[in-house]
Amino acid sequence: MKQGFIKWVVVLGLVAGCLALWGCGESRAPFAGNYRSEEPFADKGHIELLLKENGEATWKLEQDVRELKFKWKVEAGRLFFYTREGAVMIAIPTEGGRKLTMDMSGNWNPSCPVNQCVTFIRVSGEG
Amino acid sequence: MEGKKTAEAGESGGLKLHHLGHEVTVPPGTRIVSQGESPEFFYVVQSGRVRVFRETRDRIRTELTELGPGSYFGEVALVTGQPRTASVEAAEECSLIKVSKEEFDRLLDQNPQLARHIIQQLANWLVAGDRRLETETVHQVKLRQISWFDYALIIGLSIVFALVFNLYNDNQIPLIYGRGVKSDVPKISLNQALEYYQNKNALFVDARKSNFFDQRHIKDALDLPDVFFDLQYPMFQFMLTQMGVAKEKPLIVYGGNTSRRIDVNLARLLMEKGHDKVMVLGGNYEGWERALPVTEKKGKAAGAMPLGLGGIMEWVPVSIFLLLLIPPVRRSPYLSVGCRLLLGVIFIDFALSKIMRPAVFALNVVDYGMMPSWGVNLWSLVLPWGELIAGLFLVLGIRTRAAATMIGMMNIIFIIGLVNAIFLGLPINCGCVGEVGEPVTWWKVLKNMGMLFTAIQIFLYDRLFVLDRGGFVWRERPI
Repeated sequence: MKQGFIKWVVVLGLVAGCLALWGCGESRAPFAGNYRSEEPFADKGHIELLLKENGEATWKLEQDVRELKFKWKVEAGRLFFYTREGAVMIAIPTEGGRKLTMDMSGNWNPSCPVNQCVTFIRVSGEG
Repeated sequence: MEGKKTAEAGESGGLKLHHLGHEVTVPPGTRIVSQGESPEFFYVVQSGRVRVFRETRDRIRTELTELGPGSYFGEVALVTGQPRTASVEAAEECSLIKVSKEEFDRLLDQNPQLARHIIQQLANWLVAGDRRLETETVHQVKLRQISWFDYALIIGLSIVFALVFNLYNDNQIPLIYGRGVKSDVPKISLNQALEYYQNKNALFVDARKSNFFDQRHIKDALDLPDVFFDLQYPMFQFMLTQMGVAKEKPLIVYGGNTSRRIDVNLARLLMEKGHDKVMVLGGNYEGWERALPVTEKKGKAAGAMPLGLGGIMEWVPVSIFLLLLIPPVRRSPYLSVGCRLLLGVIFIDFALSKIMRPAVFALNVVDYGMMPSWGVNLWSLVLPWGELIAGLFLVLGIRTRAAATMIGMMNIIFIIGLVNAIFLGLPINCGCVGEVGEPVTWWKVLKNMGMLFTAIQIFLYDRLFVLDRGGFVWRERPI
């Protein structure tokens, strides 16, 4: 009975440990901050991208009242953005994190496809 | 060195001889008695220790016991007249009294107390042997046991963990996608759509992801993946303006599959944005490919991100498959332990990313187009937990046969999915690890085959380092 109890405590402990370890991920701090797209997007002004250190992100077009919300994380030097529907966009930081090159295709490409690539420039630290 | 002695049973069970037999000294490692040979002598240990063991034809050795000063051996074969039942070897330098069969028989005839003592020892030995045999047999049987409960346990735990975790997960998804949502989007038949197309009376909108669109789409259609609707709608609007398409122009949306009506979803989103005349292409999901003019771009492989360490580890089962071709290695329980650790770590690693973001995995499931839409989210929630629980069970040695069966079944499902995707030429990645994944190729099928064979090896031969059913077993114990 006691052995069985210990066994299940070990199993549950490992599950919790694994999830906690996975949940931690890499630090977001170096990339948190305000970004602005280099070029206007779809004739609606620039995109303002805010990356918060808690993993939340907002995306807003200058001429749009709506703000879109994402989750983001850092892994292997890349930034992963998750939409609520489960789509993923990958951004590659360059120039020491001053620029983010975001692949809007939703696929993983070795380099950002020209017609689906948006470059953001860092405006300030976390806002 | 030899000398005459006689014998009597000591009070402690040891045996002392006086004026009987010969005293011999043997160096360590000397084989004193060999299993199967005809019995000629009875031995009493005066000093040092001897090792008693049995050995099978293929040299598998089972240690039975060690004897020290006052102990004796060789009596069983002399009493029964059968060949030696075990071998005896000097563990260190020993001094023994070597008694011939004639002397031993005379000793028993003249000494009933000694005879009774030997019978008593033999009986105790048999009873103890029976008990050990029973314990080991029960243990081995328990290890081999497998019941429906084991499967129910793994599946049950996976379902419970999946549902509870989804309740508290920031990235939670509904159990059944789109349940209770009525389809208020008008449908259009393929023939009507063709008429619209020929008269240029409608704009076709593809709801699939860009990799599917790039591979094949209706000529002149626009791509607006429903999962990126909020992000890409401004660009869609911009393109409509550039093309001079009025908002009143009918939009015909297509691209749904068995696993998700992304076409209906996109149509609904467009209607919410004020597009009045939105229709969904009816009929067979792939009907448009035959009924309408299509633009194709063959040969473009899906973008795929390497899986890192997990991807490399997946190759190890493929190499283990080569080991499985060698029969003695194939049956090794030590190989099973290695296979368990390997498969366990791979499945735990792959499960974790999927658990944290089930919506991402759900879209990967949708890409395969094999799961009915009502099952996609349930599958995406429960499968990763099944991988995690089965992986942990393998690593810890809990219900390993059932865990190996579950993992083997998952591998079979993955292989079917991969082969189907290869034959259909789907531009997808494997979806093995959340947002990243390797290309769907025959190499990926081979990796899954390797893992399947590894799971079968565990199912058949695993019995060491287990945490339940009889305790932690470090090595093959002698019976």
